[in-house]
Amino acid sequence: MRTLLLLLGLLSLGAQAVTLPELQQRFSQQPILRADFSQQRTISGMSQPLNSSGNLLIAQKKGLWWQQEKPFTLTLLLTENRMVQTLSGQPPQVVTAESNPQMFQFNALLTALFQADQQVLEHNFTLNFSDQGQGAWQLILTPKTSPLNRLFRTITLNGREYLNLIDINDMQGDETHVRFFNQRTQPAALTAAELAHFDG
Amino acid sequence: MTVKLHRQLALVWLLICLLLVAALFWLLPRSQVNSSVLALLPRQQLQGVPDALSRGFSQRLDRQLMWLVSPPEGQGSAVAQDWLESLRQLPALRQVEGPMDAQHQQQWGEFFFQHRNALLDDATRQRLQSGAQAQSQWILGQLYSAFAGVSGKELAGDPLLLLRGSQLAQQQNSGGMTLDNGWLTARDKQGRSWYLIHAELKASSYDITSSKQIVASLNGLEQSFRQRFPGAEVLQRGTLFYSNYASQQAEHDISTLGLSSVAGVFLLILLVFRSVLPLLLSLLSITIGALTGTVFTLAAFGEIHIMTLVLSTSIVGISADYTLYFLTERRIHGGETSALDSLKKLFPALSMALLTTVVAYLMLLIAPFPGLQQLAVFAAAGLSAACITVMCWYPLLAKNLPVGPAPGLVLIQRWLHAWQNRRALRLGSPIAVMALILAGFSQLQINDDIGDLQALPKDLQQQERQIAALTGQTNDQKWLVVYGDNAEQTLQRLEALRPKLQQAKERGTLDGYRLIGLPSQQQQKEDLTLLRQRAPEVLSQLSQAGIRLKPADLSPQWVTPPAWLESVVSQGWRLLWLSLPDGRTATLVPVSGVHDSAAMSELAASADGVGWVDRKTEFSQLFSQYRVMLSLLLTLAVTLIAGIYLWRFRLPHGLVCLVPTLLSLGMGIAALALSGHSLNLFSLLALVLVLGIGINYTLFFTNPRGTPTTSMLAIFMAVVTTQLTFGMLVFSSTQAISSFGIVLSAGIFTAFLLSPLTLRVQKSGPTP
Repeated sequence: MRTLLLLLGLLSLGAQAVTLPELQQRFSQQPILRADFSQQRTISGMSQPLNSSGNLLIAQKKGLWWQQEKPFTLTLLLTENRMVQTLSGQPPQVVTAESNPQMFQFNALLTALFQADQQVLEHNFTLNFSDQGQGAWQLILTPKTSPLNRLFRTITLNGREYLNLIDINDMQGDETHVRFFNQRTQPAALTAAELAHFDG
Repeated sequence: MTVKLHRQLALVWLLICLLLVAALFWLLPRSQVNSSVLALLPRQQLQGVPDALSRGFSQRLDRQLMWLVSPPEGQGSAVAQDWLESLRQLPALRQVEGPMDAQHQQQWGEFFFQHRNALLDDATRQRLQSGAQAQSQWILGQLYSAFAGVSGKELAGDPLLLLRGSQLAQQQNSGGMTLDNGWLTARDKQGRSWYLIHAELKASSYDITSSKQIVASLNGLEQSFRQRFPGAEVLQRGTLFYSNYASQQAEHDISTLGLSSVAGVFLLILLVFRSVLPLLLSLLSITIGALTGTVFTLAAFGEIHIMTLVLSTSIVGISADYTLYFLTERRIHGGETSALDSLKKLFPALSMALLTTVVAYLMLLIAPFPGLQQLAVFAAAGLSAACITVMCWYPLLAKNLPVGPAPGLVLIQRWLHAWQNRRALRLGSPIAVMALILAGFSQLQINDDIGDLQALPKDLQQQERQIAALTGQTNDQKWLVVYGDNAEQTLQRLEALRPKLQQAKERGTLDGYRLIGLPSQQQQKEDLTLLRQRAPEVLSQLSQAGIRLKPADLSPQWVTPPAWLESVVSQGWRLLWLSLPDGRTATLVPVSGVHDSAAMSELAASADGVGWVDRKTEFSQLFSQYRVMLSLLLTLAVTLIAGIYLWRFRLPHGLVCLVPTLLSLGMGIAALALSGHSLNLFSLLALVLVLGIGINYTLFFTNPRGTPTTSMLAIFMAVVTTQLTFGMLVFSSTQAISSFGIVLSAGIFTAFLLSPLTLRVQKSGPTP
């Protein structure tokens, strides 16, 4: 009887426990993810934190489109081979993998974070994954390569079904919290307007 | 000429020879043997760039060496560190540089911080010029970005984020390489990392002996490195490896081809004369020829190039011809005539032969290759001396030559008889040769590309391609030189050139360029004025957005060229900056992916103090110019010879005499085409010699006082010696020399084959 109970316990645990490969697998089944975000950056020496908000779109075959709407418009487009940052009223800044591999590699991590891409992450960070119970999980990333290890102390990801929170602690003692909410995976295909973001 | 007069002449020549020996001993300590491969190439004719500056740059660039090291799978930069340590053990290298250590990286950052007001990047300057709004928006963008990592400390020290701007710009300029633990690193498609190491040679990479030693010890190091780290890869780049390869080839050519041709000539002499005396006499005339050639070359150039010495072994064959012609005459007719009579008999032919050969060699002087010019002087002086030695001394020295019939005389008589009496041979041979020429010309190709002349070993080429793919920097020897009377003028000119280069890049003329990051004083002043003008507005706009910052420090932070050169930030860039003691200064702008060399040349011409250097294209153009020029000269020479023949022999024999000459020239080119080579400047240079030497055979036959069989034997021996010397060049592993040999060999053989055509058709057979 005790054996049976133990076995049942293990089974239920096994059914609920979250692992990083499993998480990556789950994320990869979401071809498109839309979400809203709100970000708070605390910079030491500045009297008030910097708050911003906006929305983002991740399409697995296209890349990441990140649009800050408040307090001013700033768009970041990240695809397989280029990164375009647009500030209203200024020519877009384009970075390609050829012209600036350093910066490109760095920004490619952003996509890896959202997709929990273990291989890319393990190349740059020591990973500490933990199951928080009831489907919640936490992944603490400690940078191990230069120049990341001179910029960031830790990057912590929290989530459940989706990624919900990113906490960035940098070496200067500054903190950034990004909260994601209102995640949507439908419609499963990009709309014409969304498609246009990646062509721009 | 009396016997007495001849004796006096012989004495005078002895005196001159002694004087030449004295001159040699006087000259030797004052001259040098030049072993630099560079000295063989035409002097660079750069538009306007001061010679001292362009020479300084090429010398410096030719000393650079670089390596890319890839560790075995699973291992990191420690493997590259090991290679770096082994390189540092080599005494021939200096400034062996690998990773930038933490201290240097810190100094690097400090320098840019301390001079941030003077070292504005393009993007920041443009934002400031378009108004304060652009810069304040950009600063906000950086502040709000979660990953830009702007800290409170950074903002306090540099509220305008000038340092950040200039560092971002530098990253953009990194050419596909990243920084990994201080190492400049490239990553290939398979995901392998390649670490970059750079060093400089202490001696010139064109110094033949030291190059050989350095390459040997580098190869040794690499071998033990690969044993210690199986699976590790090393790629290398540097002029050293190319020039060493070239000089090894040349050395191989001297030792094998040179020796075998000398041995062959001596063997022939022994076989024909069955006596040691002719051998000694040939040796004497060759020695005096070499002595005179050396003295004249040293006197004219102050040095002799090692390649001149190589090519001059080919003169051995020609200078032996004079001895052989005279000795053959003596061997056959020594019983009937006096030595002096023999000389009188041969004098017209000998002197004409010398004259034509010397003229042919002197024609090489017009080519702008210092090596060939030395060869021309060496040959002209050396051959004259060898011929004079024959004329002045051999009637006296050859007294005891055993007399006897020439070997193979019967064969020779039959051969000549056939030429004079068989129409099939007289007509058939030229027609057969003509058919071959037509076949050859139908597939003749012209190629002036200097790159095709340097047959580089496959593994060097392969490494070159890999390095270009990894670093994005090709090694095609193309760059712009910006120069001025002083550093400030040079920098201002560089700044004026910048927008033009940007436009050219946008038009697709070139893919990329790199400029040193040192602004002129004028630019620094303008930037400071701009900063002072915009800074208050930028900060007030930021304050409106809720970000209150301390005012920026806008004191002047001038960067002078000496300070820049001494600082760590110029590491890797100093090579591109050259200042002469008199203040004249130049900077190199390396360019990559040039699609239109002519447009680059125009671009350089449109700016002040800018020169476009494209060594390969320049040389190729030069090659083609001189090829055309030599073709014209050859045509002129042939016309002149035709005129002389017609004047001396009248129609139709004058025209007949011209046939061997014309067909030998045609056959030289045809053989080149039939053996799959293309026509270039070197083939034309060989044709000059075909003309100069081949015509001797005609002259020996048409000498009215000569005996055809004796002439035939002498010509036969001359051809064999020439083939033994020039023909050997065909086997040279250097393609330029090999194709030179093909033209010479085929041309001279044709001249020999058809030379009996110039004998007049006689009623009876030739007299023995």
